[in-house]
Amino acid sequence: MMDAIRSALSHLGQLALLAVESIFSLLTTGPRIRSACFQIVAIGIGSQLVVIITGAFTGAVFAAQAYYKFSELGLGSATGPVVSIAMCRELGPVLSALMVAGRMGAAMAAEIGTMRVTQQIDALRAFGVDPVDYLVVPRLLAIFISMPILVAEAIWFGMMAAQYLTVQVFGVPAPWFEGQLLAHTRDSDVLSGLIKGTIFGLLIVLISCHRGLHASDGAVGVGRATTRAVVDSSLAILVVNFFLSVLFNHWLPTSAIDL
Amino acid sequence: MTGDPDIPPFFEVRELRQTLGGQEVLRGVSLNVPRGKTTVILGGSGAGKSVLLRHLNGLMKPLSGTVTVLGTDLGPLSEKALRPIRRRIGVLFQEGALFDSMSVGENVAFPLWEHGLRDRAAIAARVDEVLTHVGLQGHESKRPEALSGGMRKRVSLARALASGPECLLYDEPTAGLDPILSENITRLIDRLQTELHLTSVMVTHHLGAMRWVADQVIFLKDGSVRFSGTPEDLARSEDPAIREFLNADAMAGR
Repeated sequence: MMDAIRSALSHLGQLALLAVESIFSLLTTGPRIRSACFQIVAIGIGSQLVVIITGAFTGAVFAAQAYYKFSELGLGSATGPVVSIAMCRELGPVLSALMVAGRMGAAMAAEIGTMRVTQQIDALRAFGVDPVDYLVVPRLLAIFISMPILVAEAIWFGMMAAQYLTVQVFGVPAPWFEGQLLAHTRDSDVLSGLIKGTIFGLLIVLISCHRGLHASDGAVGVGRATTRAVVDSSLAILVVNFFLSVLFNHWLPTSAIDL
Repeated sequence: MTGDPDIPPFFEVRELRQTLGGQEVLRGVSLNVPRGKTTVILGGSGAGKSVLLRHLNGLMKPLSGTVTVLGTDLGPLSEKALRPIRRRIGVLFQEGALFDSMSVGENVAFPLWEHGLRDRAAIAARVDEVLTHVGLQGHESKRPEALSGGMRKRVSLARALASGPECLLYDEPTAGLDPILSENITRLIDRLQTELHLTSVMVTHHLGAMRWVADQVIFLKDGSVRFSGTPEDLARSEDPAIREFLNADAMAGR
């Protein structure tokens, strides 16, 4: 038990050190723009379809469930605000981040892990290149740029899907839906989602790169690092999300419901 | 020990100790690597050869003892402070360690670019020159995964040479190659040595390669230096561990 706690704490310490090293490297050496651009293509553009589908179907299913219940109370037009707040504050950032963790966290841990076990990381160091400069910082930069855009897309497609379903299928008049949705969605809702998404993205990169950089034992080790990267990132997203939600409800409160 | 006593050695290792996974791998190794000569570190698997080599450019830090490169102790240096020293030392890794996200040409150009060269024409010329040196001119655009084991090693050698290091470290350069390829790469190393007058350290268990290139041989056994001297002295050694190693090699028909 004590060993488990000790190893968890040492792991967290290593992650914090990696974060500090990355910030230090960004400030002193400056970013590798070319590598960062490659990563933006891989993370940002490569994740488009996944994030759009996730956003759209989450918005749709949430709208359907909300409408069934609300319409019994004669509150069908409240579907818009409920979906909007849920997508902006929770579902958009969390689900996008979980998808990115599955896609990119795994890819990063596998790529860096393979580099580690085939001595490519040693080769970098032998050429006087810091692996953090070369591998971690461009990925952090890329996800910092990509993640808010991906989350915004997920939110937008979620709302569009919800509107289509509520208006076209359930027959709520479009002006009611839109009017209520816009009246109850604040900048703070959108902002909190984008900030959350960005924080989750940075966590994914730090956790996955760390797992990759510490991979050992050949192909088995790379497999283990990849699995752990995805599991750790996903758990971190869900846990950190709770605390961020509590925090943001104070700092960036949502509007009072006024139907 | 061979080498001119007036010229300070390139590497000086003193009482180097290291453990891996709780096991003592190096137990107080001391040796000098003279400048401009080839030192071969010989020994069976698990003797600590590769671990010793990793200390020479600071990829591993000593548990105790010192590793000095041209008078500078590597122990207290940070990764950043090690950079200028590492740039003077090329490494040929066991499996080549080519960057598989890059083509052959980009791999060889990597150290040049990282050392601050930005003139693309000069980089291309240098890449062509070192690839020609290892007999692989015109292979710039190939991907590492499309190369055979021997070619990968030669590309890796070209990459190690690209920035004009003063010293080369070879980690098992002939491992995993058939006898002909392994002879080719040994010839190549020997030719580079004659042409470029580098200080070289080669880790191997291959006696043929050792006889060909060595000016000095260090025999490691269970993490300590069992013998240090010329290849001729090694052949005459009466030490049972060395005799066993030499005889096993003779039986393998090499």
